[in-house]
Amino acid sequence: MNTIRLYCKSMAMLIRSQLQYPASFLLQTLAQLIMEGGELLAVILLVRRFDHLNQWTPGNLYFFFGLMSVSFYLTECFGRGITGAFPSMVRTGQLDTLLVRPRGVLTQALCTAADPRRIACIAVGLVSLFRGSVLSGISWSVPLLLLLAESIFCSFWLILGLFLIEAILCIYSVKSVELANTLTYGGRSACQYPVDTYPRPLRVLFTVAAPFALVMHIPAAFILGKPVWNLPAWAAYVTPLAGIVLFAVMYLLFQAAMRHYRSTGS
Amino acid sequence: MKAYYAVFRLRRRMETQYRAAAVGGIVCQIFFGLVLIALYRALYEGRPQSMPFSSISTYVWLQQAFFRMLLASDAELMDKVRTGGIAYDLCRPVSLYGFYYARILAQKLMGSLLRAAPMLLFSALLPAGWGIAPPSSPAALLCSAGAWLIGLCCVSALENITMACTMRTLDPRGMQAMMNLLMMILAGNVLPLTLFPDSWQPVITALPYAQLLDAPIRLYTGEYALSRAGWIVLRQAGWTAVLTALGYVLWKRHQKRLVLQGG
Repeated sequence: MNTIRLYCKSMAMLIRSQLQYPASFLLQTLAQLIMEGGELLAVILLVRRFDHLNQWTPGNLYFFFGLMSVSFYLTECFGRGITGAFPSMVRTGQLDTLLVRPRGVLTQALCTAADPRRIACIAVGLVSLFRGSVLSGISWSVPLLLLLAESIFCSFWLILGLFLIEAILCIYSVKSVELANTLTYGGRSACQYPVDTYPRPLRVLFTVAAPFALVMHIPAAFILGKPVWNLPAWAAYVTPLAGIVLFAVMYLLFQAAMRHYRSTGS
Repeated sequence: MKAYYAVFRLRRRMETQYRAAAVGGIVCQIFFGLVLIALYRALYEGRPQSMPFSSISTYVWLQQAFFRMLLASDAELMDKVRTGGIAYDLCRPVSLYGFYYARILAQKLMGSLLRAAPMLLFSALLPAGWGIAPPSSPAALLCSAGAWLIGLCCVSALENITMACTMRTLDPRGMQAMMNLLMMILAGNVLPLTLFPDSWQPVITALPYAQLLDAPIRLYTGEYALSRAGWIVLRQAGWTAVLTALGYVLWKRHQKRLVLQGG
């Protein structure tokens, strides 16, 4: 509980510090807005030209896009310490200072950075999610809303877990490992469309190794009333938990890796 | 001229130093390429278009292969302006514009060739419908290679405009973010320009961003007929001239008003 309070306090502090330069903050937020808007534009243009993707209507595709956008940028916003700052912390030896304090390394790493500019991306995602749900004619009910919340919550942990892979590799190699981007940023680009678009090897990758399909696509397909792979209803509520499982595994691996950490010194 | 060539050569050598990082980047880019092609294939199956699919997959591979040409900037210069280190460069007996133009040109040329060669080789080995298709004719290949070189000059000129603005604003991030965004969308990085609505094409292909990679790619796939190649290349060269001139003027003006930072 104490840890959570600490985290919330640091987040509030970090966000306040970014707001100290309002003009710069606004400009950068605007840039983020246009960037994510551009991504959404790509989906809209594709939909205009091709009309549908397998069994998915334009509304369905906006829904999938929005779900990915909201989850991914929530992670980037609140998990920036892992998703962005960690490699440089290892390279500069700044990580050492975290080792001497009486808190977990991961908690402290998460407390070192926040990226409130991403709120613009999250907003675009929400608009897309809303528009998609209207166009798809979803009849919302309490269980469905809870399922959507569960999916976003678990996606947060899934994406954070995938970024932990980069952090782990970084502890061993010191340099930031661009290869790990295939799972994180690659996963984001690929899985903003439903996973059944892709040929089998990619489908397996995004179901087993980086389970975006389990955490996002199965519940989303269920909400849209088009369950994939003939899964029963309860499955949609269970599969998102894969995200938390992945994070737990990566957390243990991270702890193991930290035992091998050798400072770069200064 | 010799001085600029020396800068170019030094920078070229520097760009070939980090080979391990390049390998990681290449694998990443190949993965993105495969994902995009899989997506467009699925879309094509639902509603085939007049354009053959091979030209889309070729577009994707060429775009991914030369990714580095679009988004790579000279971080060192940005720092120099911010820290005042640019004072040293002001002492050099060369035109600063030419100095940095040569640096950026070398960085983009080597950065993209180093990555493009293995990626194009890989994509050529992929089965038809997944990989890159051969050029529509040997003449088209020559034309597009020439157009690519002009595109390279054009993107360097654009980059120099961003830098000229940095001298005024000191913090490059806002300006750079905006320029990169326009680049990502209008140069066909987010979505191939050929997939934009047909009614947008006349406007979008006339913008400077389409001259960088889109024009060479369309010459390669034969979407721009060879008979029109002269006009296409002329348009590219025109934009390059305009942007270079604009950049030159901005550099001259901002250089005079530059306030040296530091202490």
